[in-house]
Amino acid sequence: MAGKHTRDDGTIRTLAELKSALQNAIELEHSTIPTYLCALYSIQDGTNQKAVETIRSIVVEEMLHMILACNILNAIGGEPAINKPGFVPTYPGHLPDSDNSFVINLAKFSRESVDVFLKIEKPATTSEPPKAKGYQTIGQFYQAVRIGLEYVNDNTPGGIFTKDKKQRAKQITAEHYYGSGGQIIPVYTIDDAREAIAEIVGQGEGIDDTIEDSDQQMFGQGIEYAHYFRFNELHEERLYKDTDTPKSGPTGDRIVVEWDAVYNMKPNPKMDDFKAYPELLEKVRDFNRTYTLLLDNIHNACNGQPDLLMKGVAMMYQLKYKAIALMNIPVPGTRYMAGPSFEFEK
Amino acid sequence: MKTDHYDVVIAGSGIAGSLIAKTLTRAGKKVLLLEAGLQAGVALDSDGAYNNYMSYLDRFYNAAAKVPNSPYPILKDAPTSNVLDVVKLTPGGPPPPGYLVQMGPLPFASDAVRGPGGTMLHWLGTTLRMLPNDFKMKTVYNQAVDWPITADDLRPYYEMAELEIGVSGEVSEQTYPDTPAPKAYFGKDYVFPMHKIPQSYLDTEIAKGVQNMTVKLNKRQYKINCISTPQGRNSTPNAKYPYRDVIWNKAEKKLKLTGLLGEKYDYNPVPSIWDAYTGQRCEGNASCVPICPVQAKYNPLKTLKRSNFDHLTIITQAVASTINIDEKTKEVTGIVYKRYNNPDSPEYTTGVAAGKIYVLAANAIENAKILLASGAANSSDQVGRNLMDHMVMLTWGLTKEKIYPYRGPGSTTNIATFRDGPFRSEHAAWISPFDNWGWSWPVFSPGSDVSDGLAMGLFGKQLRDYLNERLTRQFLLHFECEQSPDPDNRVTIDHQYLDPLGNYKPIIHYYATDYMLKSMEAAKTVSDQIFAANGIEDHTVYNPVTDAGYVTYKGQGYTYRGAGHIVGTHRMGFNKHDSVVNHEQRTWDHPNLFLAGCGNMPTLGTSNPSLTMTALTFKAAEAILKQLEK
Repeated sequence: MAGKHTRDDGTIRTLAELKSALQNAIELEHSTIPTYLCALYSIQDGTNQKAVETIRSIVVEEMLHMILACNILNAIGGEPAINKPGFVPTYPGHLPDSDNSFVINLAKFSRESVDVFLKIEKPATTSEPPKAKGYQTIGQFYQAVRIGLEYVNDNTPGGIFTKDKKQRAKQITAEHYYGSGGQIIPVYTIDDAREAIAEIVGQGEGIDDTIEDSDQQMFGQGIEYAHYFRFNELHEERLYKDTDTPKSGPTGDRIVVEWDAVYNMKPNPKMDDFKAYPELLEKVRDFNRTYTLLLDNIHNACNGQPDLLMKGVAMMYQLKYKAIALMNIPVPGTRYMAGPSFEFEK
Repeated sequence: MKTDHYDVVIAGSGIAGSLIAKTLTRAGKKVLLLEAGLQAGVALDSDGAYNNYMSYLDRFYNAAAKVPNSPYPILKDAPTSNVLDVVKLTPGGPPPPGYLVQMGPLPFASDAVRGPGGTMLHWLGTTLRMLPNDFKMKTVYNQAVDWPITADDLRPYYEMAELEIGVSGEVSEQTYPDTPAPKAYFGKDYVFPMHKIPQSYLDTEIAKGVQNMTVKLNKRQYKINCISTPQGRNSTPNAKYPYRDVIWNKAEKKLKLTGLLGEKYDYNPVPSIWDAYTGQRCEGNASCVPICPVQAKYNPLKTLKRSNFDHLTIITQAVASTINIDEKTKEVTGIVYKRYNNPDSPEYTTGVAAGKIYVLAANAIENAKILLASGAANSSDQVGRNLMDHMVMLTWGLTKEKIYPYRGPGSTTNIATFRDGPFRSEHAAWISPFDNWGWSWPVFSPGSDVSDGLAMGLFGKQLRDYLNERLTRQFLLHFECEQSPDPDNRVTIDHQYLDPLGNYKPIIHYYATDYMLKSMEAAKTVSDQIFAANGIEDHTVYNPVTDAGYVTYKGQGYTYRGAGHIVGTHRMGFNKHDSVVNHEQRTWDHPNLFLAGCGNMPTLGTSNPSLTMTALTFKAAEAILKQLEK
């Protein structure tokens, strides 16, 4: 469903294009989550504390970004579509509507997967134009969304932000959402929307040629580094110091990354791969059912029943336990363990 | 060694010390905080805080007896009380081993944490306010003493405390005996920062039969009122809650509640001290006492972390011993502390912390000890006296239907009916929390149930069935009886009893007056009626041989336990003859010495004292700022 209304030049000029781009934003944020979760869950319990902390903190921020994108879409009268087969990406695959310059996977925690994570979170450079389609960096994409929001809002009499009470009640607020590290921002105005985008981009890429994310500046939280730089600490096996810059790279203490204390999960598993092993297949299917139920839950939460989100928490725990159980089951005849396949399964 | 000169020197980093440090440093004052516990415990950076807290959790998981102090390091140089040391005393015999020198005739049954964050690391989290009559026991019931302040005086400070701790609860459900309706007592539009923690299944099942039932007590009839309990653990934010911070208003010379972020964002529950992804909601881990694994439950390190560290110096492993006093001006000139490198070695260096104003916030027993050791603040002869605790009588039984205990925080509902009433001129008031954790407190369930099953020769499915029938029906009721102040319940010191650093160990004299014993008799009558009316099979046993707190009254035996509420040893009052501190928590005898903590409370009321103590501490912080800016 991605890209239906997006212009070839990557700019946004109409409300339909804007809604389409925001739906893409939701899909884009979501597409990174299975990737990060596989790496996170593949790390054996009690090891790699720094890596676990890093990936966990980043994946919950991606979840926040997904919900922020839903809030913006709801604010302009859209309807986030989350529980459709096409919503779930196929792995290996690309970031939705990107320039396809790299491949994202469902894979265990490894040097190779951290390489991919760095590409996902790579900060935009000023030389690249804002583009909602064919973008190279996520920053480029959101720049285009922000410009599009401003353009369409300015060129629509009365603006595009809904005044309808029922529609405004669809916003996810701090009452429903927590534990994301950042700030959940209910969106009612163009300023709120700008702030939500600044939060998404700021947490991911950082601000103004520093390694820090935007939460301290925007919300008075403790200093935290942006996603790219947190992953780079794992990549370089060295911590940043507060005085480091993007150019300097990390110059702080060395850290130990235990690349071997990881379940050897089969890369990009599919239910089809397990046809010969009915018991194992059933477990993978069971995981996917839970995952699909969770998507249903989030879909309904973002379409007028925000209270449901709290009930999703138990499903998220289920998902974790089921994923880790799979990673403890060898795939017969291979050197791999099974793993979650993140397929849409009703 | 003498330190730099600070605006304020504080001994103790529990909630009282941490709150004063935070409030003062954020108002630009230079503060030195002395802490007796280990350096590791004060780590507030992400990795340090996480690693230290995980070490507490490991210690808890590995402990054979999961008592309140089980997660926290035992330090020879900064020893503390432990409920495992509470044993039955022999009249005339030598005091048993342990930090508290228990002279009896009854044992004082509560403990404290001595380390960064203090005893609130293992508090349950109940945050009830005191009731209006609690502040005027003498006037209304001719018992104990009045406070020099009223519930109305304390209200703005209660509101600050409820923000600081982050209280979850429903104001509209807070209906108390002899107290104005919630809208009047709390203020028309007042709400807590977060909605209530959902009451447990057990609570709702029990309340079905108990709510509004009539019980008879001493020829009077009472209608039982079960209400949700406000608590200091994170829940869903209340969008109507307006406040974000407490700020020193220089012009008005007052602390004021303000909305820091404006109306735009809802109140955000304060997460764990190690990252913002953990602890924003209670997860029902059900180990609140002794330790919340995710820090959804408030602890004072959350407050300390919000200090302005440009103005704060913390010296850890520094045990406050005595205070120096200028004989002429009566001003305090320094706090003498002993600093150890290794908590198991008796070696130490002595330092003197110097400032303009001094605050002892080391807990009620430690504060009293330091004052007694220094001959300070005691012209009233009240230092160390009036030691109080809630004397907790437990009753337990098996319900007919399964109520599924062992889920959620320790207690989410209480019976408020006997918190106030004319009976207080005859015997103590009490509050009755429903307990969510089965019989774990009185008989160490579920381990003891497994032992019982094994002793009956059960194993396999039969054993599982036995446990399934028994554990799921365990009901426990508390009766937290308000101990009345008594000058003979007291802390003293003696050169015979010293710890490895040569500091005094507290000597405790403790007993239960008839006023207390009579309340246990009354509470048992109420319990019997509740159990009988609801078909709860009573399994309560008070054992005269093994129960340390076994007492008798009119031929019947009862057992009290400690509530961990150590209160009263340096009471607040109306003048220098009747008390140690005034209503601002300043000592009458020394113009620059403040005392903070539960020791200031003249009476205990039936609420857990932490919230009230926090409110009083805001009052102290305000008075200190006023004095500094004079």
